[in-house]
This record gives sequence, structure tokens and C-alpha cells, in this order.
Amino acid sequence: MKAIGARLPRYDGLGHVKGQTQYVDDVRVHGTLWVKALRSPHHSALIKSIDTSKAESMPGVFAIVTAKDVPKNVYGHLEALGVPADEPLIAEDDVRWKGQIVGAVAATTQEAAQAAVDAIEVAYEEREPVLDIRTAADPGADSFHQWGPIYPHFGPHNHRRVRKGDVDAAFDKADVIVEGVYRPQAIEHVPMETQTSLVVPEPSGRLTIYSCTQAMYFSMGVVAAHLGWPLNKLKFVGGTVGGGFGGKVDTATETICALLAIKSKRPVKWRFTREEEFLVSSTRAPWHVEIRDAVTNDGWILGRRMLTLHDSGAYSRFSPYGLTKHAFHHTGAYTIPNLRFDGFVIFTNRVPTTAMRGFGVTSVSLATEMHLSRVAKVIGMDPFELRLKNANRIGDTTGNRVVMHDPSTVPVTLAAAEAAGIELGADYRAMTSDRRTGDLLPEHLVDQQAPDGEHLMTYRGANGGGA
Amino acid sequence: MELTVNGVRHDVISPPLTTLLNVLREELYVTSPKAGCEQGGCGACTVHVDGRPRRACLLPLAAVEGAEITTVEGLSEGEELSTVQAAFHEHYAAQCGFCTSGFVMAAEALVNAEPAHPVGRDEIIEALSGHVCRCTGYAKILDAVAAASRGEGSVDNEPAFASTGGEPEGGAPTKGAPA
Amino acid sequence: MGGSPIGAAEVIVAASRGEAIDAFGDGAGVTVVAGGTIVMPDITHRRRDAERVVLIGNAGMSGISSEGGRTVIGAATTLADLSDAVEPLGTCARRVADIEIREQATIGGNLCAPPGVESPRGDLQAALLVLDAQIRSAGAGGERTDPVEDVLAADGSRLVLDISIAEPEAAATATVRRPHAHAYTVMRVCAARVDGEVRIAVSGAAPRAVRLKACEAAAAGGADAATTAERALEDVTPSDDALASGWYRAKVLPVLVRDALTQLG
Repeated sequence: MKAIGARLPRYDGLGHVKGQTQYVDDVRVHGTLWVKALRSPHHSALIKSIDTSKAESMPGVFAIVTAKDVPKNVYGHLEALGVPADEPLIAEDDVRWKGQIVGAVAATTQEAAQAAVDAIEVAYEEREPVLDIRTAADPGADSFHQWGPIYPHFGPHNHRRVRKGDVDAAFDKADVIVEGVYRPQAIEHVPMETQTSLVVPEPSGRLTIYSCTQAMYFSMGVVAAHLGWPLNKLKFVGGTVGGGFGGKVDTATETICALLAIKSKRPVKWRFTREEEFLVSSTRAPWHVEIRDAVTNDGWILGRRMLTLHDSGAYSRFSPYGLTKHAFHHTGAYTIPNLRFDGFVIFTNRVPTTAMRGFGVTSVSLATEMHLSRVAKVIGMDPFELRLKNANRIGDTTGNRVVMHDPSTVPVTLAAAEAAGIELGADYRAMTSDRRTGDLLPEHLVDQQAPDGEHLMTYRGANGGGA
Repeated sequence: MELTVNGVRHDVISPPLTTLLNVLREELYVTSPKAGCEQGGCGACTVHVDGRPRRACLLPLAAVEGAEITTVEGLSEGEELSTVQAAFHEHYAAQCGFCTSGFVMAAEALVNAEPAHPVGRDEIIEALSGHVCRCTGYAKILDAVAAASRGEGSVDNEPAFASTGGEPEGGAPTKGAPA
Repeated sequence: MGGSPIGAAEVIVAASRGEAIDAFGDGAGVTVVAGGTIVMPDITHRRRDAERVVLIGNAGMSGISSEGGRTVIGAATTLADLSDAVEPLGTCARRVADIEIREQATIGGNLCAPPGVESPRGDLQAALLVLDAQIRSAGAGGERTDPVEDVLAADGSRLVLDISIAEPEAAATATVRRPHAHAYTVMRVCAARVDGEVRIAVSGAAPRAVRLKACEAAAAGGADAATTAERALEDVTPSDDALASGWYRAKVLPVLVRDALTQLG
């Protein structure tokens, strides 16, 4: 408790300012080989043949791996939960995004490794790429993915759904329907340290893996699964990550380095170039979000219909998880009682997308906040006042029935208005997070309000039979 | 080729077109300058060449033969930090730290420029504008450089943190530099 | 990626202008490195063959002097040393990247920047065009002087020795830039009045800087700034790159032309 209120030094601060903090690329092990990858030049193509023979005899080349060298090439982190895997470590029969790995070389220098990569001969048969999530799932559309264009494993559904109340009735009662389409685009994490790992074979037969991963135990599991090894044959050494922001959870280099280290019996390092980092490392996903709100002239949002398409890129990775979080937050910080949300994870021939700060939620925040401002404009209401009226309050329930016990929407919105120098009406300035009553509890919000006095986690509504 | 790095003379064997960055990192095991982009775009590789800040990834060895190279490792004397280093530490100007070496070398050149003068925020931004940080949002880096230019590394170059023994002083914890 | 291993390259560090000229020869297979800010990443990432590399940064080819009413600038003069050069060259030099780059990058390198498919780097080329720059070079057939337009249109197989520029009666620039801590120029129009004639050029609209001859003709004919600006797209069709779309550039270029001419007076 002595630390609270005190200014404490970062435990790694001295290392940082003295240039002594050790990142993966700063670890020095004699005899380390460099890795370069052979990557697909096509968005979508069949692989007809791969010939590594010329590359194998080039100077400095110690090992080359392709799909056939991977004990378990297709592995997904949700396999243990019964969700099938879709992504190979190294492309087998086809390539599904420009930059997908088709092979990798470990050699004495970066130049030697790259020269060997350039000497690997691959015959491709190009396919028409799928690049637009809006049309990828059209009836009759071809899909390159074995599951079709839409990720199918949301329980019994092929989409994430939220249903609450009676959205049709809400739309009937509305004075005006406000529509909007929002399309946040992909964002690259741009960590200052690019993806890097160094794998060292130990005399005991174990591998020591220096990794820039943000998720050490997770990456350990991924490597072990692809190799078919028990976890205790791997020693992961993490440490200071030179910026991750969600982009270093994909275990991008470790497994291939492990395979090359085993094959070459030498330490093997792979450091992405900045070009690789920009072009082929995973990004935040692009989204397509359509919102339709049923609105009264005095600013109540009675109901919301929402369709989200999430661009997963060529494989699913963590997209279902991101979409799920997006779904849970699709009403934003506001209480909307009648909901119909459908969200789809769509496959395209783009780099597979991944987590990035606020995974799944930043997209929905952008969409819902922009949409509320649009609603305010349409009905001629102050955008702060619209938000305050519909803000989460104690006892309100979210789209998935979670009961709000300590929402911050009202005080934060008031503080923002004050900081922006916006004059609000007296009624609005006086608002608090207290349970809705009186004018702030119109008929359409009664059913969703959890009973007072019981600390419920969830509440299904007066007609829904309790928590 | 001969190169002096942090006061130590080296007979370097790397080929003449090897970048100074790779000479330092791969041949001489000086790892504070980082391979952030290897295109001169990020500033993580900045070192001093004859006292001036330069991108080590853009300099072929042959162009700096005989020069005096200074890196972060050459700034501190034993345990004593330079004023800039101490200011960066005290003002929490590093998070992941990957960009820090480059920023420190750029700041050293600015703060120690002749004639000595306290530098304004615009001048700091201009001098550091070739450096990218993805973690901090830059505000604390600017605070640190401003403090260093005022000579405020800290007393005896010991970072001015509260001790963890005894009761904390009253009031909210201060974040960043004291005004 | 092609390129011979850098270990196999023949590297000559020229100690004088004469050595540089001799080492360059007729230029066949030669890569010239002055500051290296453009060429070194290409060498490092094997985008450029480096068989015979001539370093001219320490060959005494930098410096600024006056000769017969013109300013003569050595090819290896750094952009930092051009901060106070005659306008609009000074403005262009000051607004390239950051101080670390400017103290290393050279005017010769900038002039010879390969045509940029993305974010054209010929930051000084428009200034040189409007300052009637004459380029002294060595190569096949010996030394000669060419107008900068010819050099920009050529394939760059000569060694630039120095650049002479006129002293203008007036100069102006108009720039559109991306928000950044330092200047991140998307497109810039340079204008100058030299010997009574208005010259106007744009960098960042095409792979190399372009002289806007239709605008010059309009100005020479007495048209005002706005009318002149309407002819901006007759000499260049901007294309897309990572910084801006061709559409955006085409919309903005006439505005920059009008602004530069208005400043010029």
C-alpha cells in the first residue's frame, strides 16, 4: 500500500534509457541462421507444384520447409472446444491471400536466404479473388474457403445474433427511421519492433524460443500443437515486446523457426522487414456496419436493427471472438430495448485480420456514436442531450441482458460537454446515473429495467422470467 | 576499416557497403540502435557520427570510416546517467522502449547544441520529428527533453522518484513532469 | 529481389572531384552514393544492383559560390546547408524530412532521385525548374552542361558535378502537406520571376517534377492568377499514390498555382 500515491520508477526504465533492454533481435547466439519466407504473389490461386531442389543446393542454405514438413499443418486454437480449424501454417493446396507463406528458408545470411527463396519454383493457377465483403456471400458466389464465404460456427447459427424485445413493433411506433452505413477500415499496428523470434535447439532435445509474442502460453500451445510435441519440450523466453497492440498474438514466426531449427540443428532467427510488417502481418479488420434506428421526435431510440459484416481475411483466426464483443456492445453506452443484431464473419482473399486494441469494440463504438450524431441531426436535437436521454442508467440492461450497476455514460457525457464549452439545458445538466423514473422512464423502457434492490447480474425482462 | 565506437577503436571487417546499423549490431554487438525499418523512416537507429545525429541504417560503412560513433551505451559513465537519460527515466518517456535509443540520441544532440539555450516545444518537435513512437503519444518525451534542456536530469543524476518506504505524501499522484 | 551481394560490390570512396569523375567513367554499372538517403535502402534491400559503387560525399563536391550572377551549388551539398539558399530552393530544402535526413541528403541525390511511383521524392526539382537550373555533369563524352528539364527527362546515366541557378526577381511556393511533426509534402508548386519571365513548376504531381508551360504561357500573355491556374492540368495528369489520390491532386493543383502566382505578385 506504500506504493499508492507514490511516483515509482518503471522497473525497466533504466534499461530503456541505457539502451540495455533486450528485445528478441538483441539476443546473440553463435551460429544463428536467418530466415526468409517465400510468399504468394497472388490473392487467390491453386498451388500446382513446388520445387525446392535448386534452392536446397545454394550456398549457405541449411534448411527449407514447406507444408509437407509440418507435422500438424492445420491447427486452430478453439479445437479443444470443438471448433474446427481452418488455417494451415504453410499453404498446402492453395494460397488465399497475397503474402501467404508457401515455404521458408534458413541460411547463413539474409542475402543467402533470400536468394534461395527466389530459387524456389512454384506453379500457380490463379483464381478470381474475393475482395469485397458486401458481395462475398451473394447467392451463387464462389468461395475459396472450405466452409463457404461465411464462418459457420456460432453454435447452431452462421452469425452472431442478439434479439431483444419486439423490434418490429418499435419500428411501427417510430416517428422516424434513421439509417447509416459505417465502414471502418483496416489498421496496421506498426509496432516499432517488427515480428521476430529466435529458436535455439538445446542439447536436451528441447527448443528455447525467444519470442516477441504478447501471449506466451498461448504461443507455446500453438507451437506445440503444430509440432505435435508436449508443452514441456518447449522453453519460451518472452521479455520486452517492442510494441504489440494486439498484433503479436498470432504467433507469426515462432513455429516456422522451430521447424527450421529442428531441421538444420542450428539456432534460427526470423525478423520481419518493415515491408513484411506492413504488407503481410495481420491487421485490425475492416468492417461494414449498417444501422437503422427507430426514433421518436423527442429523442427516444425505441429500437435498433443492425447488420455487421466483419472482414476476417482468408482465415478465421480470432474474428468470431471480435465479432462477439462487437455484438455485445452494439447499443453503445445507451439503453435501447428492442434489438435485432446480426453479425457475420466473412472470408476474403486478404491478409487474415486479428486483434488490435479494443478488438471488435472500436468498430461498433465508431458506428454507434456516429449514428447517434446522425439521429440528433435528423430530429434536430442537441447531440449531447440525445445521448444523455438514452444513456445507460443504474438498473438498465444491455442488449445481452447484463444489468448496469455503475454506468458512467451520464457523468462522462456531461464532462465532455463542459470541456467542449457546450451549454446544455438545465434538465440535462441535472441528470445523473440514478435509476430511471418519471419522464426518464417511458413505457418502452419499463420492461428492460431490472428490479430495484436485488443485485442481479442479468435480467431477462418482466416477461422473461428473472435472471 | 577503422571505426571508433563509444571511445573504443575497432578494425571492422564488414564489407564497405554494410550499413553502420548492421556493423554496430551484428559485428560489434552494440545493440542499442534498432532495426525499426532499415529505410531511414523511423529514427530507431539514430546514433551520433562525429557528434551529429544520423540514421545508422542509411550510412554505408565506407562513408563513416575513421569517424567517431556514439551510441546510447556511450552516454552514461558507469552508473551515472546523462541528463537526457535521467530526464527520460524520470518523466516516463519510454514504454516499450524500442524507439528510446533513437530519441535519446536526437535529444542529446539538441540539448547539448552550442550555444546552450533552453529549447521551446516547437524546437524540440522539429529536432525529434524524424522519430516515431507508437506507445507513448510523445507528450512525456517532449516533457523529458524540455526538462533536460533546463538541466533538470535530476540531482546527482538519481531519478527523482518517491521512495517506497514510509507514508506517501498527501494529494493525488502526479503523472509526468512536475510543472 | 535481384542484386549482387553487397560483399561483392566494388566500392570506391572518391577523395576528390577528379577521382569521382574517373571512378564514374561512362557510368555503366555504376551506382553513385552522395548522402545515401535514397540509394542505401535500395542497396540494403537488394532492389538495386550494387556492382560498382562510387561514394562522393567526401570528394570536395559540396559548397555554394557565386559565379556571374548565378549561384553554383556542388552536387554533394547537403539540404541542411541549403536552408538559406535563394528562394524557392531554400523553402524546399528546409521542408524535406527532418534534420537528421537533411544533414545527410544532398541536392545532387534529390535531383537524381529515381522517378517515384509512390510519394515522389524530387522535392527540390520544381525549385530547380523555376530557377533555370543548369546541371554540370560528367560521363560518356566528357563534361557538359544541360538544362535541368533535359536532365529530368533523361535516364540518369551521368555524374552530376554541380548545379547553377539564377537569382530570381521574386519567388513563391504553395504547398499541400499531410499533418505530421515535420513537413510531409504531398505536392508543391514553385513559382519564380526570372529575367522578367514567370516560371512555374510542380513537384509531387508526377514521378518527377513538371514545368507547367501552359500556365507560363497564360501568365506571359497577361492572364491573372485565377485564369492562369485553370490551365494547370494541361501539362500534368496526377496519379494515385499512398499519400493522395490523383483526383485530389488534380483538384488541388490549380489552387496551389493560383496561390503561388498571387504571392509572386
